Amino acid sequence: MQSFFSNKRLIILLVCIIILVALIGYSMSERRSLSWPEQFISDSVGLVQSAFSRPAHFVAGFFENVNDMRNIYEENRILKSHLDEYAVLQVEVNELRRQNEELKDTIGVKESLNNYTVRSALVIHRSPDRWNEFIGINKGRQDGIEVNMAVMTSKGLIGKVRQVSEFTSTVQLLTDQDISNRISAFVDGNETIYGFIEGVDEETGYLQFTMINIDAEIKEGQSVVTSGLGGIFPSQLLIGEIVSFETDEFGLTQTAFVQPSADFLRLDHVLVIERGTTTLHPSIDPDMDGEEPDTESDEEGEDSES
Amino acid sequence: MTRYYLFMVLFVLFIIEGTTFQIFAPDQYGVEYLFIPRWVFLVIIFAGIFRGRGTGTFYGITFGVMYDVIYTSLLGIYTFGMGLIAYLLSLSIPFFQKNLTVAVLTSILAITVLDYYVYGMMYLLGLTVIDHHEFLTVRFIPSLIMNMIIISIFAYPLRKWFHFLKRRMEEEEKI
Repeated sequence: MQSFFSNKRLIILLVCIIILVALIGYSMSERRSLSWPEQFISDSVGLVQSAFSRPAHFVAGFFENVNDMRNIYEENRILKSHLDEYAVLQVEVNELRRQNEELKDTIGVKESLNNYTVRSALVIHRSPDRWNEFIGINKGRQDGIEVNMAVMTSKGLIGKVRQVSEFTSTVQLLTDQDISNRISAFVDGNETIYGFIEGVDEETGYLQFTMINIDAEIKEGQSVVTSGLGGIFPSQLLIGEIVSFETDEFGLTQTAFVQPSADFLRLDHVLVIERGTTTLHPSIDPDMDGEEPDTESDEEGEDSES
Repeated sequence: MTRYYLFMVLFVLFIIEGTTFQIFAPDQYGVEYLFIPRWVFLVIIFAGIFRGRGTGTFYGITFGVMYDVIYTSLLGIYTFGMGLIAYLLSLSIPFFQKNLTVAVLTSILAITVLDYYVYGMMYLLGLTVIDHHEFLTVRFIPSLIMNMIIISIFAYPLRKWFHFLKRRMEEEEKI
């Protein structure tokens, strides 16, 4: 106790604080890829986490199933009533799909923004302190996962891949409050209304859909899907439904509040989406981060010519 | 072999905090309070009290690094916080070792300081916008109560276990 803060220890403490600040500065820099010690730690821990998470998900799933069994009758009744609508819809979809293919053939479009391949992954951890909304999945670079790929459940989009290690990766959920966490999306309606999904509203807990044109007519209940214009996400991945909207604080754009269709809390298996088409032809691509929608229409034009 | 027991227990607790507990966490079932487990850190403080300052600081830094790399992706915050707090509160004097209540209170003080330290850092770095009142009611107090109950239950077995480890290590040294 007597030498609690002797001179030597004080100097060590100061050095530690300097290292702390330097480390924070280093790790807050944008678009940092994981260094090899970090990859080593996350991979080796991820292995154990996978082993632990499988039985836990199984037990949780079992209790959920028991819970579901109680309202099976009610659910069945509703589903049966939906089934009739489904048959009609199915015919319509087939017809439209056929028509769409024919039309695409005539104009020669081979690839579109909503082609994608899916990989499924298991959720192996979630940050226990909840200061960020990150989850870990048990697929990494070896399985073809890359930074910024879209991640969804069967119900809808949940986020994007933030960091990739060899065998594990970290996913940033849509609900994360990071400023750089935004996704280009549009409202699926008669006219397409573009905007950005940017974090959650603190009071209501809904996702914020910002930067909507002030003249755009939004309705409650319209669904919001990804636009595919960011260059990495495919288009038409469902995000959620609009519950309310308002003019933003400066009166220049509108903000809508979106009820996400996916459940962000109970995640067990997620799907990582890789878009089938690249934004630009590899021969003329300066880098893969084309954010402008213009480049995309350029490339489609080029495709149809060739 | 005995010297790795503590590490293995801490590691399993670390995995349980991030993986198993998160699957069953109460806020997924409509509870509006967040329960943040700090079991690893509680055991580290106990290790500091019963095994000495060096052990406490070592495990504080080791698991701080793991927290940083795996859960936050912001390096340094937990490494520094857990290391420093474990160093300051590793009071391995007989008074703390004999009085279990004092040891429990010390570990609770440690997680209080850690939680406030992390909140302050997150606020400073602009990674969170929640105000102090919300932090206190939604996160801090529920987590503190949960951790307090857990450590009160496990304090006695934990002390027994540390004594057992000490005896085993002394025996092994003789051989």
